[in-house]
Amino acid sequence: METSFALTGKGYVIVAADTTAIRSIVKMQIDQDKIKELSPHLLMAYSGEPGDTVQFAEYVERNIRLYQIRNLYPLRPAAAASWIRRSIAETLRTRNAYSVNLLLGGYDTSSHTPNLYWIDYMGTVVEVPFAAHGYGSYFALSLLDRYHDPEASLEEGLATLKRCIDEVSKRLVVDPGKYKVKVVDKDGIREVEI
Amino acid sequence: MSIMEYNGGSVIAMVGKDCVAIASDLRLGSQALGISSNFQRIFPVTDRVYVGLPGLATDVTTLRERFRYRVNMYTIKEEREIEPETFAHLVSSTLYQHRFGPYFIEPVMAGLSKTPSGGFKPFIAATDLIGCLNFAKDFVVAGTASAKLFGVAEGLWEPDLEAEDLFETISQTLLNAVDRDAYSGWGAIVHVITKDKIITRTLKGRMD
Amino acid sequence: MSQQSAFSSPGFDFSNSVRNNFLQEKGMPLPKATSTGTTIVGCLFKDGIILGADTRATEGEIIADKNCEKIHYITESIRCCGAGTAADTEFTTATISSNMELHSLSTGRKPRVVTVMTMLKQYLFQYQGHIGAALVLGGVDSTGPHLFTIHPHGSTDKLPYVTMGSGSLAAMAVFESSWKPNMERSDALALVSAAVSAGIFNDLGSGSNVDACIITATQTEMLRNFVKPNERVEKERHYTFRRGTTAWKSENIRDLIVNEDITLVGATGDAMDTS
Repeated sequence: METSFALTGKGYVIVAADTTAIRSIVKMQIDQDKIKELSPHLLMAYSGEPGDTVQFAEYVERNIRLYQIRNLYPLRPAAAASWIRRSIAETLRTRNAYSVNLLLGGYDTSSHTPNLYWIDYMGTVVEVPFAAHGYGSYFALSLLDRYHDPEASLEEGLATLKRCIDEVSKRLVVDPGKYKVKVVDKDGIREVEI
Repeated sequence: MSIMEYNGGSVIAMVGKDCVAIASDLRLGSQALGISSNFQRIFPVTDRVYVGLPGLATDVTTLRERFRYRVNMYTIKEEREIEPETFAHLVSSTLYQHRFGPYFIEPVMAGLSKTPSGGFKPFIAATDLIGCLNFAKDFVVAGTASAKLFGVAEGLWEPDLEAEDLFETISQTLLNAVDRDAYSGWGAIVHVITKDKIITRTLKGRMD
Repeated sequence: MSQQSAFSSPGFDFSNSVRNNFLQEKGMPLPKATSTGTTIVGCLFKDGIILGADTRATEGEIIADKNCEKIHYITESIRCCGAGTAADTEFTTATISSNMELHSLSTGRKPRVVTVMTMLKQYLFQYQGHIGAALVLGGVDSTGPHLFTIHPHGSTDKLPYVTMGSGSLAAMAVFESSWKPNMERSDALALVSAAVSAGIFNDLGSGSNVDACIITATQTEMLRNFVKPNERVEKERHYTFRRGTTAWKSENIRDLIVNEDITLVGATGDAMDTS
């Protein structure tokens, strides 16, 4: 029942993910942060097989950090998406494949554009204006089709996100509970309360 | 549900008079759920050769990178651009190398090959997922709507179409075929390759 | 990781197998490759061998290619018809053809049909039937004319007339009814054509045209599309669309002609001193 959303707007990307950790039929934790801050302008929401998710997210986090230390500048979102995709596609060919679905949101400080990438466990990457993973995607994508505006202000973007979250809470059999919402724009990353 | 249908998508290529066209839909799905309406699966190889890669989306990206790498190595070693016939064999042997663990892609190629007299000759080809080449003289199709594309193309295609007429024929063939396929559609893109220019147009298609 | 070298090691690459098994376990069946549900035949006659084949390639119930070539080149006087998985017949015959060229270069002799047959059967046996190539091999060498069938698992037969593929029963019926030893060239060619035609018209996996190849001690004659009994009639009307029928949203035209404006700098108008 894990759910994550992301959408772009005028100069920003909003990434949201639920905060419940589920094992079998039991809620184990209700305040888990499933959005990694990979670099000053890059966010990654992850979901999928428990264990694989955290392991892979940390692997990506440390490698992106290593790149920044070595080169004194961070990877741009497109390059990061390409590197992450390859990591998934190559491990998929081994016996210990990661089952991880990702939403990669970043602000490109060179072209001054917000970028959002939808990545699944097979290594499929596509750049999209809005995206979702998990059961929530069946409700949220139709809402985002109707209400998403690439020129929307942050307030409007958050209002659209709120619609998605409310709809999922209302219609999905099991309410995913609380969400953590993070925004990335030209000023960097910050968490917002909704 | 086969792996070939997991993400959806179709490609078609047609021969015209001194020109070729290659077209594809733009949908990327996760089975029945639509994810993107702007997923490019046709890529330029050289100025006059294009390749379309319908099938599993992760392999679209992987094979695109692999072909780009192998074509770049060819260009450096040979100090010339790759000809479409040669590229078709490159694609075929790359796929057959993975005979017992294939990439889930059925490539479609379109281009103009150089003739000894300095002119250009239309070329199209397609392969199955393990690299069996099909050099057709009229049109080639692949993807989730291939059965429908075969039917429509068989009815609409005729020889020696001028570039602008070929554009209409390939566009109508693609649009009408993908409208009868649940896993293809959501917009389309067409490239018409002539000896002195490449016309790329994105089409208005049904969004259901 | 898989692309570190410009040269890839020879042979098959199994790196996708783990992933594909994983996807298969998730309930997705592996797709089918193009196969030549075929009629291929061969027969002995007075001066040599005649091979015959239809030209249909199928992908399930869809006809993938209406005029493909199934008689493959091995050497000048040895040819091989292929049925089964199309890519496998294409690549096995190409590999063996290449090896035969090298073999004849290193031995300095014209290759023999038994050599080709042995190389093919050893190659196919090595892969335990996973390479789905069913072949009819024919040719003439210093020891005379030879005709073989080779099955995907590597077993072989040496017979005066043979058929293979899904249309093999229909074609064999024709051979059984009228093949005779020491036939004339024209009679043998007509018989091969009738056998392939029986496959074309009675077997759904076979269709379109008849290809034939006549191999004698002195020459090899490839008769591509020898009989075309299924020509498409010309369309009675044109189905071109009026230009502007298709609505498009955006257009980008990439000009491949490079225009250069040459501006002369410095000594203008002075011709180069070429004396």
